[in-house]
Amino acid sequence: MTTAVPVARAELELTGAAVRRATRRAAAARAETTLWTRLGDTVGTLTSIGVGIAVVGGGLASLRAKIVARPLTVSGAALPAPYAAVVAAVLAVAGLLLLLDRLGPVSATPAAAAWWLPLPADRRGLLAGDLARTTGAVVAVTLVLVLPPALALPSSPSVGEVLGVLGAAAALGAVAVGGTALLQTRGAGGRLGPAAGVVAVLAAVAAALAGTAGALGVRLPAPRALPSLPLWIAGVLAAAAVLLLTGAVLGLDRLDAGRLRASGVTAQFATASFLSLDTRDLGRALSSRPRRPRRSRRFRRVRGPVAALVAADLVALARGRWQLGQLAAAVAVPVLVARTAGLGGVPVAVWGACVVGWALAAIAAGHPGREAQAAPELDRLLPLGAPQVLRARAIVPLALTAVVCTATGLLLGLGTGAVAEWALLGLATAPGWAAASLRGAYRPEPDWAGPVMATPFGPSPVGVGATLVQGLDLGVVVSLPLLVALLRGAPTPGLVVGQLAWSLALGAGAVAWLTRRPSEP
Amino acid sequence: MAAKGGASGLLSAAALSVGYGGTPVCAPVDLALGAGCALAVVGPNGAGKSTLLRTLAGLLPPLAGSVAFEGSPVDERAPGFRRDVAAVLDDDAFFAALTGREHLLLTARGHGVAEPDDVVADEVAAFGLADRIDALPSALSSGQRRRLALAAAFVRPARLLLLDEPERRLDTGMRTRLGARLAARRDAGAAVLFASHDPALVAALADEVLVVDEAACRLVDRAGAAAYLGGL
Repeated sequence: MTTAVPVARAELELTGAAVRRATRRAAAARAETTLWTRLGDTVGTLTSIGVGIAVVGGGLASLRAKIVARPLTVSGAALPAPYAAVVAAVLAVAGLLLLLDRLGPVSATPAAAAWWLPLPADRRGLLAGDLARTTGAVVAVTLVLVLPPALALPSSPSVGEVLGVLGAAAALGAVAVGGTALLQTRGAGGRLGPAAGVVAVLAAVAAALAGTAGALGVRLPAPRALPSLPLWIAGVLAAAAVLLLTGAVLGLDRLDAGRLRASGVTAQFATASFLSLDTRDLGRALSSRPRRPRRSRRFRRVRGPVAALVAADLVALARGRWQLGQLAAAVAVPVLVARTAGLGGVPVAVWGACVVGWALAAIAAGHPGREAQAAPELDRLLPLGAPQVLRARAIVPLALTAVVCTATGLLLGLGTGAVAEWALLGLATAPGWAAASLRGAYRPEPDWAGPVMATPFGPSPVGVGATLVQGLDLGVVVSLPLLVALLRGAPTPGLVVGQLAWSLALGAGAVAWLTRRPSEP
Repeated sequence: MAAKGGASGLLSAAALSVGYGGTPVCAPVDLALGAGCALAVVGPNGAGKSTLLRTLAGLLPPLAGSVAFEGSPVDERAPGFRRDVAAVLDDDAFFAALTGREHLLLTARGHGVAEPDDVVADEVAAFGLADRIDALPSALSSGQRRRLALAAAFVRPARLLLLDEPERRLDTGMRTRLGARLAARRDAGAAVLFASHDPALVAALADEVLVVDEAACRLVDRAGAAAYLGGL
């Protein structure tokens, strides 16, 4: 048996970059992909991206044409479109910062944490490659997302304007990566995300309130259009990105293994969920830990199992970090679109914003249900059958969607002379959206065994798509009477009653279907 | 306490409180472990042994108190600390595309081991992995993966070995051989700190035993440890 202690010499130690290379070469030696398969994958990906840009760009151009065709003018009665564009940019940057902050942005997979980080190799060499890859990915995705609006929204964009917007957006993406990475190396990781979330919600709420105030007669300064971005702005942002990224790379040796591993576990979970198209698990991966309670609740007023379940759901919501902001954004987004000059005159756009906003509310309200679906321990402790649990779990979403939908309707109706009708129409959609919340929370796992359908983006498994839209599908159908009201210009009492009956029928049907659905193995 | 290597010891902790999210998982710990000594950490499941080892390895920040290696606060970001300390905790993570041998060679070469191929071959034989060492981790049993992780601690020099239940998923014969190998490292001057539920391993290796509990953490001798483990 070996008992000799190995002898090591510092001059023989591998550097971080050498460890990376050795690992990559060993893995590449048995990779099954060939140059041709990689080339084919690249061509397929680029084709899908091109089709996507064309589809989105075409949709945006069509929307612009509709807005231009309407006799709308920028006035104090609505939010000037440039403001809404700035809010949209703030929301996009905040979303990027949230994502980067949650995932690290520098992290180590569990394997890297177990086999790389205990080595004496420099962490800068080990981790700089990942930071470069993350920066490249963010810049590429930013370009793909910004290209359609940059091409389609201006009436006759020049090459210089488009390049200016693309350059600024790409540099801003790199600034976001560099900034979050630099904060991470300074031990301040995890703080930017919540701040960005708060700023995003406040921006959306403030813009929605400003638009509503405009509708009530408050005059807002009204720039006709955003100034075009000169190329030097992109240059300044690019210089800032280089500085931030350099600072981050120089600080990589300060990152500790424990936090790198924790971020790596989150990133691995999120990546697996993304690749398997499981948005529910993706949400779980990206959600933060619940707020730490100051004290345990006694539940003195709780009587009976239904009340216990409702109380538990309320506590889960109260301790969630994002749900309150989601609910505020759920009201703000439809109001913002409806009050934006030009956009607010397109009923389908307002209806789409209502669906997006209320879907956000349904997701927030479904948080306890999603948690219970993954870990139903509390449900099993209570003397309730599965159908009773589901019906009891509808109470909190019903209350929350009632508040959100009514508030949205109220704010949409201000200044129209039909406030009560719009508010009641909003309230009438709530039962259906509450059921949509439950349907989304308790949807089955994606079914990969179903048939495959050819799409412009490549083959897509039908079963997966059908599963992923569960919840949203119900909300869309429930909201059809709202679309009719928007197309007509105002809700009638008949439409309100019809919306309520439609919403109740669909909601009750969905809950009944959920309670009778055979449980998954 | 187990401080043959000097008054303060190679590894020391004072009023060390460990846990997650600001909540301690066990009573504060005081210890001093010298070179050439072995300290076993015992306690029931959930007592905080793994959390204590993670904190001693610098992978978790202490909630309170201090932990020092050679008199300086533990900082796993320092390459010198990583050269001196080998930790085998409860991780079961491997690069999916690297064989067992490549994992061990990466570790040995990363630490600047002279003759890494020979050292790895010796450890592969010692841990009974010769037949499976060129397989990918996904093709290994959980016991084989555990032996691979343990072998990684032996293909490099270390002044301190931190091991979380090293006996886990090993058969009786391998446990005995592992105890002997760790004792040999201890006798060669390394400090060994390990959490364990195995009275035989504790008896074979530990100079002293730290009982970790929610109420109090206390040192007992090997006889006391055997009685304690028997009662769990």
